[in-house]
Amino acid sequence: MDDHASIKVQAPPVQLERVPLVGNQRGLGWLTDRIAGVIEGETPAWWKMCFAISLTMMTVCFVMILYLMSTGVGVWGLQHPVMWGYAIINFVWWIGIGHAGTLISAILFLLRQKWRTSINRAAEAMTIFAVMCAGIFPLIHIGRIWLGWWLFPIPNSNGIWPQFRSPLMWDVFAVSTYFTVSVLFWYMGLIPDLAVMRDRAKTKIRKIGYGLFALGWTGSNRHWSNYEKAYLILAGLSTPLVLSVHSIVSLDFAVSQLPGWHTTIFPPYFVAGAVYSGFGMVLTLLIPLRRMLKLEDIITVRHVELMCKVTLGVGSIVGYAYAMEFFIAWYSGNPYERFLFLRNRAADPFIIGPMFHVAPAPYWWAFWTMVICNVVVPQFFWFKKVRTSMLTVFALSILVNVGMWFERFVIVITSLHRDFLPSNWGFYAPTWVDILQYLGTFGLFFTFFLLFIRYIPLIAIAEVKGVTPQADPHHPLGGAKVGGQH
Amino acid sequence: MKTIPPQCPEPETGPKYWRSLDQLAGTPEFRQWVEREFPAGASEWTDPFSRRNFVKIMSASFLLAGLGATGCRRPVEKIYPFAKMPENYVHGVPQYFATAFPSRRAALPLVVKSSEGRPIKIEGNPDLPGSNGGTDPLAQASLLSLYDPDRAMRCTRNGNGENKTEALDFLSGLSKTAGDGGGLAFLLEQSDSPSRARLQQAIAAKFPAARWHVYEPVALDAGRAAASLAYNRPVEPCYKLDQARVIVSLDCDFIGSEANAYANIRDFAKGRALNGADDAMSRLYAVESLFTLTGLNADHRLRVPPSLVVAVLAKLALHVLGATDMDAKLAELAAPAQAHEAWVAACAKDLAANRGKSLVLGGYRLPLAAHLLVVAINEALGAVGQTVEFHPTAAAKEGTLAELAAALQVGQVQTLVILGGNPAYNAPVDLNWPQAQAKAKTVVRLGYYHDETSWDAATHAATQWDLPMAHYLESWGDARTADGAVVPIQPLIEPLFGGITELEVLALIGGLTPGSPYEIVRETFRGLGGDEENHWRKFLHDGFLAGSAAAAVPVRHDPAELKRAIAGLKAAPAATVASLDVVFYRDAKMDDGRHNNNGWLQELPDPITKLTWDNAVLLSPATAKELGVFTQERLTGQNQKFFNPKVEVTLNGRKITGPVWIQPGMADHTVGLALGYGRDKTGRVGAGTGFNAYKLRASDALYYAWGASVKDTGDKSYELATTQSHWSMEGRPVVREASLEQYRKNPKFAQRMKPADPEDTHGKPIVEPLYPNPLDSAKANGLHQWGMSIDLNRCVGCSACMIACQSENNVPIVGKEMVGKSREMHWIRLDRYYAGPVEDPQAVAQPMLCQHCEAAPCESVCPVNATSHDDEGLNVMTYNRCVGTRYCSNNCPYKVRRFNFFDYNRHPLNHQFLYRSPLVAKTDGEWELLRWLKNPDKGNLPEDEWQLAKLVKNPDVSVRMRGVMEKCSFCLQRIEQAKIAAKVKARDTDHIRLTEKEGTVPKTACQQACPAEAIVFGDMADPASSVSKAKEQERTYKVLEFLLTKPRTTYLARVRNPNPAMPDSKEHPLPYTSEEFNKGPFSPGEGAEEPAEKGAL
Repeated sequence: MDDHASIKVQAPPVQLERVPLVGNQRGLGWLTDRIAGVIEGETPAWWKMCFAISLTMMTVCFVMILYLMSTGVGVWGLQHPVMWGYAIINFVWWIGIGHAGTLISAILFLLRQKWRTSINRAAEAMTIFAVMCAGIFPLIHIGRIWLGWWLFPIPNSNGIWPQFRSPLMWDVFAVSTYFTVSVLFWYMGLIPDLAVMRDRAKTKIRKIGYGLFALGWTGSNRHWSNYEKAYLILAGLSTPLVLSVHSIVSLDFAVSQLPGWHTTIFPPYFVAGAVYSGFGMVLTLLIPLRRMLKLEDIITVRHVELMCKVTLGVGSIVGYAYAMEFFIAWYSGNPYERFLFLRNRAADPFIIGPMFHVAPAPYWWAFWTMVICNVVVPQFFWFKKVRTSMLTVFALSILVNVGMWFERFVIVITSLHRDFLPSNWGFYAPTWVDILQYLGTFGLFFTFFLLFIRYIPLIAIAEVKGVTPQADPHHPLGGAKVGGQH
Repeated sequence: MKTIPPQCPEPETGPKYWRSLDQLAGTPEFRQWVEREFPAGASEWTDPFSRRNFVKIMSASFLLAGLGATGCRRPVEKIYPFAKMPENYVHGVPQYFATAFPSRRAALPLVVKSSEGRPIKIEGNPDLPGSNGGTDPLAQASLLSLYDPDRAMRCTRNGNGENKTEALDFLSGLSKTAGDGGGLAFLLEQSDSPSRARLQQAIAAKFPAARWHVYEPVALDAGRAAASLAYNRPVEPCYKLDQARVIVSLDCDFIGSEANAYANIRDFAKGRALNGADDAMSRLYAVESLFTLTGLNADHRLRVPPSLVVAVLAKLALHVLGATDMDAKLAELAAPAQAHEAWVAACAKDLAANRGKSLVLGGYRLPLAAHLLVVAINEALGAVGQTVEFHPTAAAKEGTLAELAAALQVGQVQTLVILGGNPAYNAPVDLNWPQAQAKAKTVVRLGYYHDETSWDAATHAATQWDLPMAHYLESWGDARTADGAVVPIQPLIEPLFGGITELEVLALIGGLTPGSPYEIVRETFRGLGGDEENHWRKFLHDGFLAGSAAAAVPVRHDPAELKRAIAGLKAAPAATVASLDVVFYRDAKMDDGRHNNNGWLQELPDPITKLTWDNAVLLSPATAKELGVFTQERLTGQNQKFFNPKVEVTLNGRKITGPVWIQPGMADHTVGLALGYGRDKTGRVGAGTGFNAYKLRASDALYYAWGASVKDTGDKSYELATTQSHWSMEGRPVVREASLEQYRKNPKFAQRMKPADPEDTHGKPIVEPLYPNPLDSAKANGLHQWGMSIDLNRCVGCSACMIACQSENNVPIVGKEMVGKSREMHWIRLDRYYAGPVEDPQAVAQPMLCQHCEAAPCESVCPVNATSHDDEGLNVMTYNRCVGTRYCSNNCPYKVRRFNFFDYNRHPLNHQFLYRSPLVAKTDGEWELLRWLKNPDKGNLPEDEWQLAKLVKNPDVSVRMRGVMEKCSFCLQRIEQAKIAAKVKARDTDHIRLTEKEGTVPKTACQQACPAEAIVFGDMADPASSVSKAKEQERTYKVLEFLLTKPRTTYLARVRNPNPAMPDSKEHPLPYTSEEFNKGPFSPGEGAEEPAEKGAL
């Protein structure tokens, strides 16, 4: 076999060499064993504990829905004039989280960002579960839940046809399309790995189970060729959806004439915010996971750093959007809008309020929480020390999620609670049902996510192998040479 | 809703057949069996959850289903088609009957709409001379009391159910055993009923020794008493507010809580109406301690504590009367008001300058001497015969409650007959009424509720009969309006629970024949309108006896009584923080407590405080600060729920506790206490509302009291629910206002008060819509174009429109907790804004309802097309289609849409179980889900409430379920009915257009109820219609017009008429709202049109 090695490839100089995407020069066999091992090994105690908690919380979620349906929307804290509250906040928040997965898998795929391979599977799963959590809210927030199907264009004897001018209608299509394509894309990518699981299965049930979903994958050249074409097409399809879904969600607000909602900046601002929160959530999920499942060599510090950089980038766009909103409110000269930005949002009791001689905004704390979490926090990611400290990144990523939740809170609540006619003004406070409903969706999310890491390869085995040095024929360690197929 | 035929009359002769088992069940034996089944005390109302209460409710509904209500409902299986159609009856077409709402001494003439035997809507009778069909909230809401499941339903003796015939036998037995009437005493409410007067006379003739006493906890006739003394003959003052150019009110809330307010509003609005810049308008000065509707409408308002009201009056008298021999005494009385010298002097000058066109009014709270002084001032101003007339009236002969209590205490009264009223709750505390009442051997009590005066286990007479009183819509009677016209009270429905009328009881006790209320009234009418049947029929049809109104009589003023009274008047001690003044006032909704169980009224926001379901201890901000009970949150209005400090008010050693309400514009060092709340025994609606201010009220200080102290209890757990938390308009041009002078200079001021339109670089406005108005093309198809104009200069904020709308459109009540969360359902609301300094602001009111925008923001965002536009410009709401995304409400800039957060119509009255899931709850012992599935309409309503709740509903308007958005429809059902009627009439011709000229254009419920005629609705496509003309006025503006929603509801800007010579006018020549606007960011500022007028406004 020595003649194969007759062509000598120079290794790149050390200074040009990139940090490998898989650490410790792990071989291909190790990768398969380690990733499949998560599923094949003993169920860890922490998993059981987390699963029990998640399951309980998921039950709470459904009990709350049952209570809501049987009793009325009044069990929530909604009130005149704040007719949208936690439900819409949570909906937009979860949808935002659902952005990272498809962005990572589709856009980074098209941009040939190879580092995506270690995280795309988990991120996509996160996307799907987050969109499921998000999807619950528009359905249950309506007054007559049992008539929710009237929002779909289903021909019926009532002659009721949805009104296509309504952004809520666009939402229905945008979210359902996004969900469908995301699921397809995710499942497509899973097929080779499901086949791996099938082939490694030691029990009949597993063999049948994985075999069924592996769709007879043999790993033949033709399979791979079709697979990659399909993957590319789906990536192409998903890419505009990443941008469209949150743009359309933002139109729920932007189309209205309410100061604070009626803003042309919303679509890009919402997409940036969504990516920001999505990456925040990926970090929140993967930093503990790589530790618990001993995947530090696959999800490396470099991966985390790269995600931090993306977070920093989109976080800054979000900060810019905030500033632009204020600028436009001032520049437009619309006193209603000026009032909203200063007196419903920014005026705090300490600095801004006294500076402009105005009473503090009722929700000033929400606004400043948002600003700190979304504008100040990402700026820490300029520092490599911060980016490489997993504990710090984890803590900051949680703040990112908190900040993005408050962003939606600020948009929905502060705009609504004091609008045009002062006689309407009110104050919104959630009830225990609101809070449990929100926490309940975490139960739903984590139940699915825990099941996912336990039963589905949480890292794309085939793809990760593709970015190892061994897979690169030009690499000294790569190509078909002796010892190359570790 | 099933169709209910009216009751067929019983044949007068021949055998009587029972038509149903129910009727058979109505035999006396059966009734007795039903009632006797229950052991002693079965009708006690104390514990709402006891088994006994449950049995009571079941028995009540059984009675309802079987015995009482055969007149209005029958079980569906027993309905047969009419063999012969009753005359003038068409299924589904409502019938209208003239009747009257009896209220103290001035009945409100009504036309009541009846649908299939159920009275469902109360409207004013527009046919009376001078009337415009306006009503007040109390009359509007009295309909709900008819269907109150908590009203007294059966006769009881010592709390135990008795057969009605037995009770009646007892009463007629009295007529035989009473002898000459010694020991027999009657306690009545005020009334001007000719029939009652006739019966009283007949009984007095039979029982000459019988005592007659009248008690009204809030008597509104001080003016009459004073005039009668001053003129030495019984006369009633009748004010002509439309004739007056200058009106001075001395603690007289003639727009709100005084007698006959609806007529006062009508006349006052006439005097304020402006059709052009050249029109004159009246000027109102108000001197008051509380902030009232009169103060809201005043051009100059002087807030003084009650101890200074008489001083201000004396000062005014000094200026107006000229030199008299009372000067020294008046000067002494006026001394404490020296600080207000400039104000009073300028005011007096204005009065004198308008001799014969000015009027001074004194409120019911003023002492008699003050009223005498008011009469003298009016005399001096030449007002008599011009702005005030005196009508002859009957002299009051009856004794007072205090006299009766004294007689009871010494055992002079054996049999006490209490007809109406509730003295055990509202008598002055020093009379110790419950104990006095127990001294009588026998008490006969006719009452509408089982209340404090009803038999009580703790304090009771040896025998007490409690008889259920019939509602006025169930009974025959008569009354007089304020100007003396005789009006009939005729029933629209059989007594639902066998109620008895006052006339019936009197006739029985007097042993008079005929004894049926109908016969009594008929008999009285013979004496008034002659014997002819035609006259009687016309009387019933028209609702009044033509020519029966009293004519003005010439009067000669006799100052003797005034001098005597003035000499006896002492200046009140000055109010300080340690010795506060107290004002007990008649509540705008509860009156003296009689409407306590009326949900519509409980939920109607107070016109000024906007409080619902509660009264409060009203304090001015400065006094609250001094007392340490001031809360900043209250002022900024950040929350709908107010957990204000609870304070203890001590007056002469008596104490009550209640939550503080900080009221801008209140006089300092004054405590305002509304009467009528805090009932011990009331129905499910009124239970637990407010505190009882009567507990502080003694005979010597019925309305004003001095020397109270207020102490913070430290308890902040009590929640007050208000419908409007934010006080200020923030300088926004929502209510646009100018002074009369400014209006004359710049008649188009209202259009200038909007944010400057943005311009492009060429100076052209860039607010043109991008897309054509979607209604423009539809307009071509619409036969009519509906629109509304609301004249803010006429609107006084009385809130009659709110209840009228609630009644017409089946708007549910939601309960206090829901109001606290801003979930009230009123389709029309009255926004009240304050402007100016928080201590002494001006206030404005604005009715706000769906604006029916042509480019409605709500429509485009509804995903299911539930809200859409019709060709005639109505923004229509399809309830059945609504899924409740609530986006429409979010996108409505006026926030006039209302959402059914719960199934308000299917929940029990007390609303404490709104949050209870039907999955885990039971009602009447049945699983709620199952109950709901069996009868979704009934939902979770207890059986007795369900039986009555459904009767009050307007069958032409859907009852909305939970999860559905609703809003004002411009009374679409009325428009459609009018259209149908026009089409029927038109037959083959194409004359189907409704025109105002022919009187075919319907009135909306709010418009109809408005005594001020502030609301005009009609066809904008008809250039001759009133609404078209109103919209052409220069004062017309649209709220938030810059949003280009093109509302069909427009407003006519408000104009205040300040006197430039007044001291406050020199500092603030403009209304505070326009001052705020000019200073604020919403002012157009530089570059606005009409620069010539800048600075002026």
